[in-house]
Amino acid sequence: MIKLPSHLRSRRFWGETAEAYLFLLPTLVVLGVFTFYPFVNAFVYSLYDIRTRTVPGPVVYVLEEGLDSWTNLLARGRIPEDLVALLEKRGAKREDLWVRLRQSARWVLKDEGNNQEYILIKEGDKLIAYQATTQWALDPVGWSNFRQAFRDPDFTKALFNTLKYVGISVPATLFLALLLATLLNQALLGRAFFRLVNFLPYITPVVAITMVWQWIYDRDLGLLNYIVSAVARLFGTKASFFDWLNDARLALPALIIMNVWRFVGYQALILLAGMQGIDREYYEAARVDGASGWQVWRRITIPLLSPQIFFVFIISMIGSFKIFEEVYILFMGPGPQKSALTIVYYVFTKAFDSGHYGLASAASVILFAIIFALSLFQLTVVQRRVHYER
Amino acid sequence: MFSAQGTAIYRVRRGLWSVLIYSLLLFTAVIMALPFFWMITTSLKDVYQALRLPPVWIPNPLHWENYVSAWNAAPFGRYFFNSFLIAITTTVGEVITTIFAAYAFAKMNFFGKSVLFNLFLGTLMIPGQMLLVPSFVLINRLGGYNTYWALIIPWTVSVFGVFLLRQFFRTIPDEFWDSARLDGCSRIRYVLQIAVPQARPGIATVALFKFVGSWNAFLWVIIMTDRVQLRTVPVGLRYFMQEFNQDYHLLMAAATMAIVPILILFFFAQKQFIQGVARTGLR
Repeated sequence: MIKLPSHLRSRRFWGETAEAYLFLLPTLVVLGVFTFYPFVNAFVYSLYDIRTRTVPGPVVYVLEEGLDSWTNLLARGRIPEDLVALLEKRGAKREDLWVRLRQSARWVLKDEGNNQEYILIKEGDKLIAYQATTQWALDPVGWSNFRQAFRDPDFTKALFNTLKYVGISVPATLFLALLLATLLNQALLGRAFFRLVNFLPYITPVVAITMVWQWIYDRDLGLLNYIVSAVARLFGTKASFFDWLNDARLALPALIIMNVWRFVGYQALILLAGMQGIDREYYEAARVDGASGWQVWRRITIPLLSPQIFFVFIISMIGSFKIFEEVYILFMGPGPQKSALTIVYYVFTKAFDSGHYGLASAASVILFAIIFALSLFQLTVVQRRVHYER
Repeated sequence: MFSAQGTAIYRVRRGLWSVLIYSLLLFTAVIMALPFFWMITTSLKDVYQALRLPPVWIPNPLHWENYVSAWNAAPFGRYFFNSFLIAITTTVGEVITTIFAAYAFAKMNFFGKSVLFNLFLGTLMIPGQMLLVPSFVLINRLGGYNTYWALIIPWTVSVFGVFLLRQFFRTIPDEFWDSARLDGCSRIRYVLQIAVPQARPGIATVALFKFVGSWNAFLWVIIMTDRVQLRTVPVGLRYFMQEFNQDYHLLMAAATMAIVPILILFFFAQKQFIQGVARTGLR
């Protein structure tokens, strides 16, 4: 007979357990269905060739007479009136309907308004209209998706571009954020105003603000090229016009500039909060010892701020690996000569343009491996730091 | 009697120093604000002014009718309705689920607590983009393609929010609950009436960031829907951009409209926003 620890035997403990699970139920259900289950499936799908198939579902209508006139109409891409009337009863609009031959004696009828497909099949002397349903087909293929990804020049390009983007934008943003936070920390007057202005880019919708930047980056009429040439004229030289969005060498820099602008204020705010949490006594002690401003910053502010610096570094690194929307809007594609193709962009196009879900899953598993390694690194390093403090 | 001169030099140096600091801060502020300024002024120009270089900084007269033209050029009414519907429902949903889950982790003892807690912590490492394909398959199988619930239900929980509120609930003394229980108060009532008011700043942070996040969401929406009737503002904006790719005055008017709700929210709740961000770093 196993003896349970005392707290596991009390009725009160089990009562509280029941109540706690009631409290956790909504979160657990949604998290289970929409996070844990897809998470496991991402690994499963990466080992499968997975595609969709449209197959006939429930029967909508059976035509038993006048088959020939129907097939004649269908052959010319027209939909028989009876069927149109029927579909209109189901909420379709005439102008949203179109039909095409899929294979011999089989047509696909699409209702664009309701996004519903129907399949018309000639069976004997009847024509049967089915409501189409989508079926998922899974065939195990082992590691072939991973092999295919690494052999695909697009994937290696995406990986390389993403690494380059992360490698430049993360340190650049952090460095500028550190400077900005230092300045904000010095300014007493109007700090609220400056904080506000710097924070704005972070909360505005990516799509809207990327649209503005696309306009700013325009080769002939954009604001950036205008400013660059104005500054160049100031120094007596003539600047060539940069084709930010169509030059393969400039696409990634354009992306980096925009995102440094977007995130620098946000990061500075986190760092500023950290700076304000530093005990004044350290600064006073340093002043008594006659330390210069630079020395104070270098020897007191930065080391005592290291938890926040590290935190910002890791979250921005993880976030940067996931870049997608900015590319999608700014270039309306993967950029000139795919120079701004990123990992998530690759996943997106492979899955939702080419329908190659298995390959897309393999690519996203690779993305996960990178982010997981980074998170693990953060956890272990932060843990160690906490141990040192105690 | 040391160095009246030294003090003077010190003052001059300090003065120069703050001039430098403020000019740098102003310079940054201009860079930060310029794209917004550019967006708004362009949205008030006519076609010719919008494309003119050197740029017209302040258009005269102001073409407010651009907003009407942009609004009428696409079903923006529908887009805004969808965005508000989704942002409000996900925010309310998340606040409710998060409060109870956070309270359970903060104040209750139950079987499997540490396992669950670590499981929750683990989800923070999962990049959402990794779940796109399996979620797409799942939503399709559940018949959720092109439905509102597919845009709402998966976003009504937040592990991050649970951790944030948990911190607030932990600071409430246990004696409160002990005495409330003696008075015959149920746990749910206690949470709603006593614990929630204590965590108000945390709840405000969770709600604000959720609302903004939902309003700005793009990738999930374009994957889970393809119907015009279900487009949210960012998705609609993207199609608008494709259609009117040279009419910058209209594009900028549309972009401004998409940003305005967030700006209004931000101006009313700046303090909560800023504190919320500061809090994420302090932990």
